[in-house]
Amino acid sequence: MNVSAKPILVIGGGIAGMTAAAEAAEVGYRVILVEKEAYLGGRIIRMHRYFPKMCPPTCGFEINTRRIRQNSRIAVYTFTTVEEITGKAGNFVVKVKKHPKYVTGQKPLDDSITEHITSERDNDFNYGMNKTKALYQPHDMAYPRGYVLDRDVLSDSDAETLVKICPEGAIDFEMQEEEIEINVGAVIIATGWRPYDANKLDNLGYGQFPNVITNVMMERLAAKSGPTGGEIIRPSDGKKAENVAFVHCAGSRDENHLPYCSAVCCMASLKQVRYLREKNENARATVFYIDIRTVGSEEKFYYDLLEDDKISFIKGKVAGISEDSGNLILDVEDTINREKLHNKFDMAVLATGMVPNTADLKIPFELKYDMYGFIDRSANIEGIYAVGCAKGPCDVSRAVKESTAATLKAIQCLGGGD
Amino acid sequence: MDTNEETVQGQVVSNNDPLTIKSDLDFIEALRNRCGDYFLKCMQCGTCSATCNIAPDKAPFPGKEMAWASWGIKDRLMNDPDVWLCYQCNDCSTRCPRGARPGDLLAAVRQESIVQHAFPRFLSRWVNEPQSILLLLSIPIILLSLALILRDSIEEALGITKEVGDQILYSYSSIFPHWLLNSFFLFFTALVIIALIVGVKRFWSSLKAFDNPDGSITPVKGLMPSIFSAVKNIITHENFSKCTAERTRQFSHIAIFFGFIALSCVTLWIITLGINPLISGSFVYPFGFWSPWKILANLGGLALIGGIGLIIRDRMRHDAQAGAGNYYDWAFLTTIFIVVATGFFTEALHYVRLEPHRHIAYFVHLVFVFTLIVYLPYSKFAHVIYRTVAMVYAEHTGRNDDVSLDKGENK
Repeated sequence: MNVSAKPILVIGGGIAGMTAAAEAAEVGYRVILVEKEAYLGGRIIRMHRYFPKMCPPTCGFEINTRRIRQNSRIAVYTFTTVEEITGKAGNFVVKVKKHPKYVTGQKPLDDSITEHITSERDNDFNYGMNKTKALYQPHDMAYPRGYVLDRDVLSDSDAETLVKICPEGAIDFEMQEEEIEINVGAVIIATGWRPYDANKLDNLGYGQFPNVITNVMMERLAAKSGPTGGEIIRPSDGKKAENVAFVHCAGSRDENHLPYCSAVCCMASLKQVRYLREKNENARATVFYIDIRTVGSEEKFYYDLLEDDKISFIKGKVAGISEDSGNLILDVEDTINREKLHNKFDMAVLATGMVPNTADLKIPFELKYDMYGFIDRSANIEGIYAVGCAKGPCDVSRAVKESTAATLKAIQCLGGGD
Repeated sequence: MDTNEETVQGQVVSNNDPLTIKSDLDFIEALRNRCGDYFLKCMQCGTCSATCNIAPDKAPFPGKEMAWASWGIKDRLMNDPDVWLCYQCNDCSTRCPRGARPGDLLAAVRQESIVQHAFPRFLSRWVNEPQSILLLLSIPIILLSLALILRDSIEEALGITKEVGDQILYSYSSIFPHWLLNSFFLFFTALVIIALIVGVKRFWSSLKAFDNPDGSITPVKGLMPSIFSAVKNIITHENFSKCTAERTRQFSHIAIFFGFIALSCVTLWIITLGINPLISGSFVYPFGFWSPWKILANLGGLALIGGIGLIIRDRMRHDAQAGAGNYYDWAFLTTIFIVVATGFFTEALHYVRLEPHRHIAYFVHLVFVFTLIVYLPYSKFAHVIYRTVAMVYAEHTGRNDDVSLDKGENK
């Protein structure tokens, strides 16, 4: 162990980045964890359950949060972006920018204050399915805890109200962004993914028909902390979704959208079929797929669902969705029975694929990307290691393993060993 | 037949053994030569069939055809009426997630189907290979030249008197008299009709073999009503209007279709000049510029050239929406274009009284008219016949009847 070694920079505070930070710190190295959102947990904290064990993400998240919170070697910068990286393995100079939260965190705030303001914003944590006040806590489990103020939507009168009712020094409207220069020995890139923009799937009616939702929205619908308190209901009329279509490969494996397979959506959809069946024993699920890609032991998860007579599997990619008095009609060819179907459903869940965040937000260092924006697996730069979905679509367990492996590589660049 | 057997039926060629697939690799190669390798990228997701507005719900195309093509199951594809129900509007090709271009594949299968069914086959081989183009063009040149050389001796032998007078002089009949043109083209047209009858008979039994190996079918509609529905569909361009990706093709096809009909009417009128009871008294030929027949012919020619121009413009893009366009397509398009262009050119030279240029232009025009008509059973032009037959067959056997299927009901 070498406490005098330079710290490791971890970019991205999702499950991959949190794991890398905790792993490095627990063997005695210092870590700077940078996250652009106001909270850690990234995509996984918005899930209802993980596959294949169907455990809530809070367990993995909570453990990792505790590992990070309890370890003084980790410095967590939220609301922070990386602006510039120069240097080489063992000695990188990194400029990071801390964006203003306008909440100092030095004086306590609570929900009785937010009740007095009216300005609202789309709740991006719930993929826009509900709203929060302009002064908000990102979510119940948020770490670091605390409020964030969205100045862009805050009205002038609300700003005056806040000045009046908040404790002196709790909110600082004059807060400026702050640039910090840090010196690190290695960089781990865990910038993760975002769901493909379903509005681009013009044939599937997302954005046109309220009952067409995406898989990430389904996670929020099923989650207790979500906009419906865990009830899977149709957005159009709040009725229980009884007959739901799961549309696989919505964008993935499609040259017109994402030519690659996003790797996790098959299992994610099957998991969501289970949410539906577990929450409502009368609900029917129909899965439309090209191939069911459940690898290794995950195959069992799929076979178990085949036993359930309320779940049908139809081999065929959905080519179009139209609406008929609130219900959806899906056009698809059943390629096994060679028949075109036009079945009716209450709701359709699109299994949208993964787009790397680095598709447009590039790491400010010369790196090679593949044509979709994932960091090129073959690019071997000493001292900079990409993990998880920054490198290619993968599930939580693989992202975590990659992080642990990358941590070891990063430690080796720091020097100071015997 | 239970559903399992039916499912397997299309994908298996013999012995009812679902594991036996006889792949014809030469056939796959032939298709690749026509439309490229795209179809081999198909992953059988069914987007194409589900997207197609023309494909019926039961055993829709082009999904199953894509599988058969990849596997080289030639006899299923050669006998398949569905490939002829496709108008290549390319809704499938533009939606295909793999860029497998089902629209192009079906066009290639149709071309192969014409080659397979046409009679005699050596001619369809020639029409389909670029290296035979000079041979094919030399045939009408030689035959027409022979007819002109032998004209005098034949006239003498048959005792036909030469027509005289200024009006006649300024028609084309001084060199190409009516009796010569009519008998020349009628003779070859008769041969074309015989070849087509043989081809259609072969094709009809192929279609029946598709539905049932022993060739027996259960008609749901009489033959005459089926013909009536098919022809009505063709004239109204009803299926074209269901396409969404390539909208202009509907209009260009309408222009070409009715242009052809206009020109055919005028031609028929002139050919039947001697025997047509409707033509009596002072029939003036050649037509004056403002004669209704001349106007009809000119409008028909303009419609044709406009339609062809639009199609050529779209085909130049070679993209998924317009379709690949290979030698077969271009040979057909170019022939029509030259026929109409030389037609107008001849007409123009005639009005400006350019001698002997107008006769040379007319000769070139006749060479290409011959090319268009006599090679019809083997060129893309044959789609006029094969598609019509397939559409009649589809009506006859109830292929498009989806009424028995419950639409909009969840199973």
